[in-house]
Amino acid sequence: MKTIKDKIAKLSFVALLLAVTSAMFYTPAASAHGEKSQAAFMRMRTIHWFDLDWSKDEVAVNEQITISGKFHVFAGWPETVDKPEVSFLNIGIPGPVFIRQGSWIGGQLVPRSVTLELGDTYEFKVLLKARRPGDWHVHTMMNVEGGGPIIGPGKWVTVTGTMGDFVNPLTTLTGTTLDLEDYGLANIYFWHALWMSIGAAWMLFWMKRPMFIPRHIAVSGGKADTLISATDKKVAMGFAAGTLGLLMFSLGATNEEYPITTPLQAGLMRGIMPIEMPESTVSVKVEDATYRVPGRAMQMTLTITNNGDSAIRLGEFNTASVRFLDADVTEDESGYPDDLLAEEGLTQSDNSPIAPGESKTIEVTASDAAWEVYRLADLIYDPDSRFAGLLFFFDEDGNRQMTMVDAPLIPSFI
Amino acid sequence: MSASQSAVRSRAEAVQVSRTLDWMILFTLFTVILGGYHIHYMLTGGDWDFWADWKDRRLWVTVAPIVSITFPAAVQACLWYRYRLPFGAVVCVLALMIGEWINRYLNFWGWTYFPVNFCFPSNLVPGAILLDVVLMLSGSFVLTAVLGGMAWGLVFYPGNWPIIAPLHVPVEYNGMMFTLADLQGYHYVRTGTPEYIRMVEKGTLRSFGKDVAPVSAFFSAFVSVIIYFLWHFFGRWFSKTDFIDGEGV
Ligand SMILES: [Cu+2]
Repeated sequence: MKTIKDKIAKLSFVALLLAVTSAMFYTPAASAHGEKSQAAFMRMRTIHWFDLDWSKDEVAVNEQITISGKFHVFAGWPETVDKPEVSFLNIGIPGPVFIRQGSWIGGQLVPRSVTLELGDTYEFKVLLKARRPGDWHVHTMMNVEGGGPIIGPGKWVTVTGTMGDFVNPLTTLTGTTLDLEDYGLANIYFWHALWMSIGAAWMLFWMKRPMFIPRHIAVSGGKADTLISATDKKVAMGFAAGTLGLLMFSLGATNEEYPITTPLQAGLMRGIMPIEMPESTVSVKVEDATYRVPGRAMQMTLTITNNGDSAIRLGEFNTASVRFLDADVTEDESGYPDDLLAEEGLTQSDNSPIAPGESKTIEVTASDAAWEVYRLADLIYDPDSRFAGLLFFFDEDGNRQMTMVDAPLIPSFI
Repeated sequence: MSASQSAVRSRAEAVQVSRTLDWMILFTLFTVILGGYHIHYMLTGGDWDFWADWKDRRLWVTVAPIVSITFPAAVQACLWYRYRLPFGAVVCVLALMIGEWINRYLNFWGWTYFPVNFCFPSNLVPGAILLDVVLMLSGSFVLTAVLGGMAWGLVFYPGNWPIIAPLHVPVEYNGMMFTLADLQGYHYVRTGTPEYIRMVEKGTLRSFGKDVAPVSAFFSAFVSVIIYFLWHFFGRWFSKTDFIDGEGV
């Protein structure tokens, strides 16, 4: 007898472990730091984020912050990633530390998935309200069905205060004002507690009497029928009737209290308006491009032709959210995240203005530790070793023009 | 200790030992089900059960009963045919719901801070009681599969409607209409669950107009009957004892 007890005790311990494991099994993903582990070509050749602005670095709980800017949907979208026909403008934060009060593409509210067109540039804005204190890395993010999350640059934002003060007030179309943070909670607890108590009562009714061994002996001995009495059957019918009665009553009461309800809303949104980008008057041809592994630098030979009527200079190369600037031509005034900004990362063999009608071939080098830190150099191990990015040119009046580059990249290991 | 020698010396002692074993077996059974059923339900029902904005009148109503009738069917087979104990379905559902509440409260709310009114589990108790009562009164697993399985699928939505109805009240928000549940999904950011993953209001039942929930429930009930049969035999097989033929030893 003792050994049986020991065995059951051991088994129950294993069972307890299993139960605890299952309860711990799933926690919704809270991390937002996948940016570096994502394949380099995914970041370089899909969505290019630029002109980004985080309206604040520090907010108190219940205060708002806006992340705005533009993104270009790269025309040379990689074959291996599904086209952005079903895309969702998300925000990369570790769980609901902010709530998303609004998100817009081209002025249209986008709580649902949208269709984006290759080659188009869109303006976007995400409005967040601080909920939980801490230092949070806030990334722009586009989820593409069949492609996964495409993470944009992240900036640290500090939230101060206490989460207990957070409120999320709303007024429904039926005229009720509520706080979505804990709305309906008492109702949820009430019904769960009530139904679970009824279930527990049913169990207790059977647990009061000997359960396993005597009943097993009786069943094996052919006396199974003696184990269920007429009273038991009456009680069971009572439970069934009570269950049906409570279901009907609660259904009626609920429909009376909430006469107006609507189904969940879902569906794809098409026709999102892109920005009308002026036709670029600069044409760029990539003669060759190499990545020097030891120097953490990408070198390209570009033939630039100015078809406009004002002299232009190359000021910025932007790829995978890393911005390489030529300090002689332009500087960042938006407070762009330091780790993604190479203020003097762009050097040119000749950065003098290119006159209207002129065509010039220059050596351009983009070098920064970011190549390593953001694992962009891993590009040379990708199945399709191509790079892509945005070039920004500035004319004499400070006007900016954007041109895409997309070319094969040859690694150099010496 | 030789096999012929009894471990207990009196009837009173036998009763006491038997009772101790009752509690130990029940505890083990409960925790095994809690773990196994919970993992099964997370893998098959997953997001439909996790989030209020997945609890729609088409797919949730269809999927949740079908994937959840599994363990109750198997455990009923074991407890009824070997012990004539008619609480197989209820013990499963209570274990599952306790496991879910621990997970939702500690992980979803305590660790990741999703509000509990957004990530509460579904209520499965009404169907479980009906399933147990049908088995007990009829003593027939065919009848339990057909009547009980139907009831399991049909009462799922009414059993949950009082809990989710308040979240289906409409709101106008920045020029669009949402239900409060939709808005929860939009407000409380899930980085790993983009909107297009959400499987709600999809399907081919459009011709039934706005009364989709009952149609979905009927469909779910029919499939639940089939799944009940399948898992009943899993339960039978799992709980049988095979004795090795003495001559071969
Ligand atoms: Cu980050």
